[in-house]
Amino acid sequence: MQGGTVRAVLSAVPLRFWLAVTTLALGVVFGWMVRIITGRLLRRAGVPSATEGTTFERTAREFGTSTVAILAVIAGYFIFGIAVFAAIAVAEIEYVAQFWNAVAGFLPQLFLAVIVVIVGVVLGDKVELVVSERFRGVKLPQANVLPLVAKYSVFYLAALIALGQVGVATGALIVLLAAYVFALVFLGGLAFRQLLSAGAVGAYLLLHQPYTIGDEIQVGEIRGIVQEMDLFVTHVEADDEEYILPNSRVFADGFARVRS
Amino acid sequence: MATLRDSLGSLVADVDGLFLFSPSASVYERFDDSGVTRVVIAAENGVEADAFVELPLGFENVRDRIKFGVEGAMERGFVAEGDMVVCSLSMFGDDADSLVRVRVDESMRSGIYDLFIDSRAEPGVVRDVFEVAIDLGKKGQKGKPVGALFVVGDAGKVMNKSRPLSYNPFEKSHVHVGDPIVNVMLKEFSRLDGAFVVSDSGKIVSAYRYLEPSAEGVDIPKGLGARHMAGGAITRDTNAIAIVLSESDGMVRAFKGGDLILEIDPEEY
Repeated sequence: MQGGTVRAVLSAVPLRFWLAVTTLALGVVFGWMVRIITGRLLRRAGVPSATEGTTFERTAREFGTSTVAILAVIAGYFIFGIAVFAAIAVAEIEYVAQFWNAVAGFLPQLFLAVIVVIVGVVLGDKVELVVSERFRGVKLPQANVLPLVAKYSVFYLAALIALGQVGVATGALIVLLAAYVFALVFLGGLAFRQLLSAGAVGAYLLLHQPYTIGDEIQVGEIRGIVQEMDLFVTHVEADDEEYILPNSRVFADGFARVRS
Repeated sequence: MATLRDSLGSLVADVDGLFLFSPSASVYERFDDSGVTRVVIAAENGVEADAFVELPLGFENVRDRIKFGVEGAMERGFVAEGDMVVCSLSMFGDDADSLVRVRVDESMRSGIYDLFIDSRAEPGVVRDVFEVAIDLGKKGQKGKPVGALFVVGDAGKVMNKSRPLSYNPFEKSHVHVGDPIVNVMLKEFSRLDGAFVVSDSGKIVSAYRYLEPSAEGVDIPKGLGARHMAGGAITRDTNAIAIVLSESDGMVRAFKGGDLILEIDPEEY
């Protein structure tokens, strides 16, 4: 009988095999759902507009996809991958399990590394765009270096994190990073010393406004009417000159408000 | 039709410059081989033109728009006095629909370009104050027309030539024109009399200021009231400019150096 042979085949297959197939099917469904939900969440979080104009997004567009779609697909495959391992474990396929267990421990890290690389590349491009936008007014060839430096700094960090994830020895690279950060902080502090002290005083001046626009003040030898004050400088206008004083100078010399 | 084309051709014969007001990229490229100086006058340089004059306001009045463009081009040396230029601009739609032939000479210098670009205050600040005044003129305060007086730039001197009418609501505040909250705030404060003082960088220094300039020798059109007189006079005494919204006829007027430079009807914007 036809029905009899089908039933015989069905009963010949062990139960755990059925369980494995079910796990796999569930994995496919879950993976698909995660993919859709991730895509929606990323879109809701405004990722498409944030990645717009970056090289990665443009390359993705050329292949008819987008950054969001790629990230969603990766998330989906990650879930599917877990399901595959679960299925193998359930099916208790001995030799395969031994080999794949090692891979299973490694796989999440690999996924994470891929995501870090993608985020790093997009972020680096974005940083480059933002910095170059900031320096657009400055038409100096030297200013073009800054966006690139910012971009490759982000790339470097992303590569470091990704390599660290997959367990590559990154000791030397970290030493390099430390040297870079130290140089940045030390030289930056040195270069911006004046701005920082002026800014600190400026914050006080703007909060408490011991003098305001229209007051006549005297700072050291300079005496005139305050025309403008911001975080870093105070514009003081005398009869013939407009002095632009760093705010730190106002504190260092002290100031007198002239009563009219 | 050849006859019509021939007779209208005189409009563009022997011109030294072509002024394109807010052209699209394709329109700009169409004149690549025309062999005359192309000057683009627009809000932003979207076509990467070499000769570019930034248009701070989209002047509804075509005469103002052309004057601004011609003055800006003269100031930047794109055209010289005596040149004949043709302006391509849009009067009704978004695309260029009219051609205007003008001769560049000193009488074209109305000071509109100078008002925006060469004032003490930054061009962006002047534009923002204009926009606030126009907005205030359009909507009024709860439907009733309001008047307002903005003195922009040289705030230190202006403060010394004026006195407070009441407590200054902007004391120790850091409000700049162009901040989104400003329109609402100014609408409320415009109910009380007195001038707003705005600094070079756009910070609102004070409201309720009573201006005390000497009004000697200020020549403003008859029929304008005390607000315009005070606004005009303070621009003679200081390097500020004054932007006045009239309560009676709803017009926005700008003064510089004691002269009326520009008149805008907010209803057209």
